[in-house]
Amino acid sequence: MMKRLIIGSLCLLMAFGSIAQKKEIEFTEFDLDNGMHVILHQDNSTPIVVVSVMYHVGSKNENPDRTGFAHFFEHLLFEGSKNIERGQFDKYITNAGGVNNANTSNDRTYYYEILPSNQLELGLWLESERLMHAKIQEIGVETQREVVKEEKRQRYDNQPYGTILPEIMKRAYTEHPYRWTPIGSLEHLNAASLDEFVEFYETFYVPENATLSIAGDIEIEEAKKLIEDYFGPIPRGGKEIPRPDIVEPEQKEEVRDTIYDNIQLPAVIQAYHMPAQGTEDSYALEMLSTALSGGQSARMYKSLVDEQQKALQVAAIPFSSEDPGLYLLFGLPTIGGDLKELEDAMDAEIKKVQKELISDKEFEKIRNQKENDFISGNSRMAGIAESLANYHVYYGDANLFNKEIDRYMKVTKEDIKRVANEYLTEDNRVVLYYLPKSQQNQ
Amino acid sequence: MIKKIYISFVFALFASVAIAQVDRTTAPEPSPAKEINIGEPTTFTLKNGLKVFVVENHKLPRVAFSLTFDRDPVLEGDKAGYVSMAGQMLMKGTKNRTKAELDEDIDFIGANINTFSTGMYATSLTKHQDKLMELMKDVLFNPAFPEDELEKLKKQTLSGLAASKDDPNAIASNVRGKLVYGDEHPYGEFETEESVEKITLDEIKAYYNTYFRPNIGYLAIVGDITPKEAKKLIKKNFSDWEKGDVPTAEYEMPTPPEETYVALVDREASVQSVINVTYPVNLPIGGEDVITARVLNQILGGGFSSRLMQNLREKNAFTYGARSSLSADEYVGSFTASASVRNEVTDSAVNEFMAELMKINKEGVTQDELDAAKASIAGSFARSLESPQTVASFAINTARYNLPEDYYANYLKNLEAVTLEDVKAAAQKYILPNNANILVVGKGAEIAENLEKFGEVKYFNKKGNEYDPNDKTALPEGLTANKVFENYFKALGGKDKISSIESMKTVYTMSMQGQTLTFTEIKDNDNFKQEVGMGPMVMSKVLVNDDEVKAFQQGQEVPLPDEAKSNLKSNTFIFPELHYADMGVTTELTGIETVNDKDAYVVSVTLPSGQVTKSYFDTESGLKVKTSATQKGPQGEVTVYEEYSDFEAIDGIMVPKKNVKFQGRPLNTELQSAEFNIDIKEDTFN
Repeated sequence: MMKRLIIGSLCLLMAFGSIAQKKEIEFTEFDLDNGMHVILHQDNSTPIVVVSVMYHVGSKNENPDRTGFAHFFEHLLFEGSKNIERGQFDKYITNAGGVNNANTSNDRTYYYEILPSNQLELGLWLESERLMHAKIQEIGVETQREVVKEEKRQRYDNQPYGTILPEIMKRAYTEHPYRWTPIGSLEHLNAASLDEFVEFYETFYVPENATLSIAGDIEIEEAKKLIEDYFGPIPRGGKEIPRPDIVEPEQKEEVRDTIYDNIQLPAVIQAYHMPAQGTEDSYALEMLSTALSGGQSARMYKSLVDEQQKALQVAAIPFSSEDPGLYLLFGLPTIGGDLKELEDAMDAEIKKVQKELISDKEFEKIRNQKENDFISGNSRMAGIAESLANYHVYYGDANLFNKEIDRYMKVTKEDIKRVANEYLTEDNRVVLYYLPKSQQNQ
Repeated sequence: MIKKIYISFVFALFASVAIAQVDRTTAPEPSPAKEINIGEPTTFTLKNGLKVFVVENHKLPRVAFSLTFDRDPVLEGDKAGYVSMAGQMLMKGTKNRTKAELDEDIDFIGANINTFSTGMYATSLTKHQDKLMELMKDVLFNPAFPEDELEKLKKQTLSGLAASKDDPNAIASNVRGKLVYGDEHPYGEFETEESVEKITLDEIKAYYNTYFRPNIGYLAIVGDITPKEAKKLIKKNFSDWEKGDVPTAEYEMPTPPEETYVALVDREASVQSVINVTYPVNLPIGGEDVITARVLNQILGGGFSSRLMQNLREKNAFTYGARSSLSADEYVGSFTASASVRNEVTDSAVNEFMAELMKINKEGVTQDELDAAKASIAGSFARSLESPQTVASFAINTARYNLPEDYYANYLKNLEAVTLEDVKAAAQKYILPNNANILVVGKGAEIAENLEKFGEVKYFNKKGNEYDPNDKTALPEGLTANKVFENYFKALGGKDKISSIESMKTVYTMSMQGQTLTFTEIKDNDNFKQEVGMGPMVMSKVLVNDDEVKAFQQGQEVPLPDEAKSNLKSNTFIFPELHYADMGVTTELTGIETVNDKDAYVVSVTLPSGQVTKSYFDTESGLKVKTSATQKGPQGEVTVYEEYSDFEAIDGIMVPKKNVKFQGRPLNTELQSAEFNIDIKEDTFN
């Protein structure tokens, strides 16, 4: 169970990579009567199949007094179902020669299996059991509370810098549910009654909130029939699915804080509010991060790591998400280096892109890099299944898989300068200094 | 849109009919297994002997070139490490481009180029293919081998070695190679600080000129390119590449030990033991037993559900992970079962390892295990085919190792045909609990005795050379701790001379990620001050004077336990051995051990506080080359030590130019200055 972990949009970004195929990938999509959306991509070159289901529920759909539910379900729903004994879910997959995993973000929860293609039906059976009648029982809830507690310890509390996202989020957001992260609160999970878990399952784990995405060695008609067999009988949930419409109020002044953590090296993190994924500005900001930290010849890397030797590592990471997200800048100083000095040097690099247009040659380089990343990013069935589901769930347009690269290529040098000026401002950011606990009492 | 509506309409019609047919109560049976179509690459050979394999795959507009040289392993001798460096040096600049220019050009097209001693890999989008080919050729045919880049690379390699010198896994890996393959086989060699120091451009250029030759080359071209285009491209760019006489080499086949024994590498700082049960096997790639051996290993130690993992991790909680490997190799393969375990369960863990080996060797495996292992291997084989690189590597392996043309096509069929009897026979042939090296890197004082039940316990140093730890006979007759001290005083510059020293100041520095750490010590036999600084900042400070013992971290005093205070007081002495009699310490000469491959007398020193430290004196020079102490830390006992080497006379007194301080990891410091009988300011020790 350890292997299932929460991923934030940091990882989601990778899933978005794809697109500039010379040949567009083909897919079929349709809705079942019960509202479940189905996407099928046929590629018979390798006898494997990826069966995946994306539920449009993440931590932002949670009750503020019951945070951690979405991620908790990612664990709970491996506990078994009416027809699957406790603890057997994974075994069916391993014994079939397959592998599986699941993850949860702020916006969605994703389950997948990679199976030999003659085991397609097994994958459909398992996933339909999970959706139709999973076991939501005291024993499973108890077990998974312990597992999640252990996960929190490993991934957050004991992980150097593991608390960065929770600490940033709770300062960057005051109203919006992004103010908590998927791991949520153990107290909330402990306080929740079994009825509340059942209620969550009945609300969000319903066909009209699910996207079944299958990629690999299938025959479309045969797959359609099996899908209808296994998922058709599952009734619509029918309840209204809570989707937060809270708009985070504009941040008026810089927020700055210091965190003491179990780390050896200090770190500085800046987080700027940015627009939602899919907006023109978000594409421009992504191009900007390639210019700043995409590879060893990128601006921040070359200047701060190679030339000035102020940093061991620097990165610009757009943490984009369904609702407006954050643009993160991360700096790790060289041993004994001063955090403020490093932050000033990072700011100086930002100032440069705000003042001067990047050169034509550099612009061409980042376009080349972006294009290469996209094309190389999605060569496997697992990536294709997930990306198609993402594009459908977030944009209602799975075909963006083939078209999104155009949006990046539309970004101009002027756009990059403009978004640097518009979003990377002092008032619009949260700055955290991470320091070793040993320095706490000084 | 119209299509979508139509589809769901049709489904609505027959949905109700279909539903009744599914039995949800049991897992559905798999449909008949699909035939795996591996795909045939197009192959051709240039006149110079270069064999080319083209795997056409237009899914993505990307192309990858991977070049492999098929040569016999090279015995590097006292310059071990140069072969690997030769591969890395190709990326350090060409006759047309400096390293920086090369990096910039590769980045500009979003490409990737890597080189290594047996080949290179280059990939980019198809549209940058011509530029990629130009860069690839420049790297491959025009390496500049700049002297300064070699020096940089040696420096990096040396700091890497220094950092891993005391890493138990690195030690285990080095010693394992030597035990399994021996000195005279290239697989048994590993690079050391001395061997890296000796490497020059001569070996590197010679290696490049000898082995980077088309007649031993296999070039795989995979991706968005037609065989016709590929042929044209390769002919145009690689036809001028001159073939060469590439030497072959033969090595004696290593054999497993006659009898199982324990090879102990005594690492006194260890809180965990690294265990490797290991020996060579004769399992050539593509040989008849290879698939069965893979099944066997999968069951024994191949994954989370394997016997070793279930026993050592799940049942006994000795370790986070236990696994085994049974590797096929053209020259000589090997078996290794390994885990890292806590000191106190070292012998119990070895016991379980040996029991599992014995059991599978005697009883074989069960049908359920066999079925699960086959499914798992088949699944992973199928998933590997997703990458077109796999297709190319299958074709190259088929050619390199003279495999039957349908070897990979029949892989799954042959896997399916493996029987319980086959696995049992393979277990008897390849699992050899009675002919194993049981290599343990760990704290001898706590684990050695209990390991004797598995066979003779032999001691090896970090370089894999055997020594006798209890060789008291080597202690010269009548030698005592005091005599060792007297020799030491003589070696330092004479007892009179050192007795006349009333104060001393030393400065050692080390660089760490571009920063300089400075260790300054001042002592006058009554007081002591140590400062660790980084740049102008003082990071930590220790003060000992008549009244008190204090320690500071970043300017803040940190409380010290009384025991630590009392131990620190002995630091006030410039040459503590001169004062042992007054201090009330007891000393005992306990034997000879090796320190950095040289014999040293070991003197155990017990302070009045009960703290025991050990001092090591070189048997030849008489100088003190190491001190070590075991301290209680938050995570149990830890051993810290210092090593001294490269002595130099300063004002007639021998001072070590190198001082390695080991506290969880090694800090390699170098002497900047040493001064004796200095003027000490009044407030120095306050």
